[in-house]
Amino acid sequence: MKLRPSAAWLLAVTILAAAIVLARPGASYSHQDRAEPLAAASTLHPAGTDALGRDRLTRVAAALLLSLVGATAAAAVTTLAAAGVGTLAAFAPASIGWPAMLLCDVFLALPWMFLLLMVRSALPLTTSPANSAAITFLVLAALGWPACARAVYRGALSLKRSAWMLHAHAAGLRGRQIVRYVLPNLIPLLLPQFLICVPTFVIAEANLGALGLGIGEPLPSWGGMLLELDNSAMLLQTRWVYFPVALLIAVLLLLEAVAVEA
Amino acid sequence: MTAGAAVLQWLGRTIAIVLLVMAGSTVLVRFAPGYLSDAREMDARYADAAHAELSQEAARSRSLPHMLSAEISGWARGDAGISREYGVPVSALILPRLAVTGGLLLRSILLAWTLALSASLLTTAGRNPSPFWQTPATLLLAIPTAAMATLCLLANSGGPVLVMALLLAARDFKFLHRALRTAWLDPHVLQARAQGLRARQVLRAHVLPAIAPQLAALASLSIMTALSAIVPVEVIFDVPGLGQLAWNAALNRDLPVLLAVTMIMALAVVIGGMTPDRPPEWKSV
Repeated sequence: MKLRPSAAWLLAVTILAAAIVLARPGASYSHQDRAEPLAAASTLHPAGTDALGRDRLTRVAAALLLSLVGATAAAAVTTLAAAGVGTLAAFAPASIGWPAMLLCDVFLALPWMFLLLMVRSALPLTTSPANSAAITFLVLAALGWPACARAVYRGALSLKRSAWMLHAHAAGLRGRQIVRYVLPNLIPLLLPQFLICVPTFVIAEANLGALGLGIGEPLPSWGGMLLELDNSAMLLQTRWVYFPVALLIAVLLLLEAVAVEA
Repeated sequence: MTAGAAVLQWLGRTIAIVLLVMAGSTVLVRFAPGYLSDAREMDARYADAAHAELSQEAARSRSLPHMLSAEISGWARGDAGISREYGVPVSALILPRLAVTGGLLLRSILLAWTLALSASLLTTAGRNPSPFWQTPATLLLAIPTAAMATLCLLANSGGPVLVMALLLAARDFKFLHRALRTAWLDPHVLQARAQGLRARQVLRAHVLPAIAPQLAALASLSIMTALSAIVPVEVIFDVPGLGQLAWNAALNRDLPVLLAVTMIMALAVVIGGMTPDRPPEWKSV
C-alpha cells in the first residue's frame, strides 16, 4: 500500500489549514488575553489559551509553519553541503577526499545533542527570538551534513567506478563534461536524504526546545509548547495542553511516510 | 593487510579523531558569537569591579592556542579543567555521574535489544508479514524523546530505562527486521525451508550468522542514539547523570564542563564502533 501520496496530501492540507489560521483577522501568536489564561475551547479560542492567555491554535499553527520552514531550509542546506563534500571526496584526489571523509567521521563521532547543547549555550545572551530560531536551524544544518555526505560519497564512488564512466573516460570526455552527466545521477540519492532530514530536524528542534535551549519566546515552537506539559496545574485545568504534542506526532508521522517511501 | 597493521591503523584513526574532536569542539565554542559573554555580567548584584574582572577573565581566555593548551593540560593533569560555574575540577563533577549514566545506558540498550530482537524474530518469518507490525515502531519514532519522557512522567508509568529502551527498540526493530527479512529471503535459506528445515533451525544455522556483521554496526548505532537521547531523558526524569550535567552546563554556560562531557561522549562513540554508516531510519536525533 502506497502511503506517500495520501501523506503528502494530508501534510499539504495541514499546512494550508495552519496558514489559514494565521491569516485570520486579529490572529496573533503573541497577543495576551489576560482575562482568559488557560481558557477552555471557545469560538474565540478554538483550542483554548495558554497560561499567558495566548490563543493556542494560533501558536500551534505558527509553530508548525515555523518548524517546517526552518527544517526544510536546514535540510536543503545540509543536503547541498553533503552533496558538495560527498562528490568532492569521491571524485577529487585522495589528498582531498581522505581529509573530507575524516572530517565526516569527526562530526559523526560527536553525538548531536551534546554538540547542539555546546553550540547553543555559546550564543549571545541577548539573542532575539527570530535570531534564536534562525541560529537553531542553522546549527542543525551545520551539524546534519556528515551522515548525508557519507551516503552521497558511497553513491558517487559507485558512479565513479561504473562501466559507463569508464566508457566516458575512454571516449575522451573531459572532467567538466563528466560532472555534467554525473550530478543528475545523484539526485535520486539526494532527494531521500533531504526528505529524511526534515523530520529529523523537526524532532531535534522539539527536543532542544523542551530543554529550554531552542527558539526563544514569544516565538512559538514545538519544544516551547512541550514545556507546557511540565506544569501539572495546567494539565488539570485543560486537556488542550496535549493538542500541540498530538499534532506534532501526526505531522512527524506524515513527514516520515513521505520520506520513507521516497 | 595484517591484523597488527589493521589494529594500528584503527588506533591511529581513533586517536586522530579524538584529537580532532577536541580541537574542533574548542574552535567551535571559541568562535561562537556569545563565547565572550558571561551570564554573571547580567547580574545586577555584581559590582563594577567584578564586571571588570569578568571582562579581564574573558580576555585572558580569548586566544585559541591558550584555550587548546588549557584543554590539553587539563586532560593531562587528569582533572579535565576547572568548572566555570562551580569552581571545582571537572573530573570531580563527572566521575560520580559516569556510573549513573553508564548503568542507565547499559540497561536501556539490553532491554531494547531484547525487545527488538524478539519482535523482529516474531515478525520476520512467514511468506508476507503484515506491514502493520511496523506501526508501533513507526509511531514510537515519531514521538520526540522529550515528549515521550514527559508523557511517561505524567502517566506515572515507566521510567528513564523504559523510555530509552522504547526509543532504541523502535530503531533496532526497523534495522533488525529489514536485515532478518533480507536474510530470510536469501535463495539458500528459501531452499533450506523448502527442504523442510524448521524455522528455528533456519534462523540459528543460516539467518542469524548472516546478519552477525550487521549486529556489530547496530551495537554502535545503539550507543550513538542512546547518547543523544540521554540528555532529555535524564533532565526530565531528574537522573543525576552526565546528560543532566551537560544540560546544566549549557544553561549556565559552563563550557569547560560541556567540552569535557562532549569529549567523553565522542570517545564512547569512537570506541563503541567507529561511526558506521547510518541507515535512513537511524537518522533521527
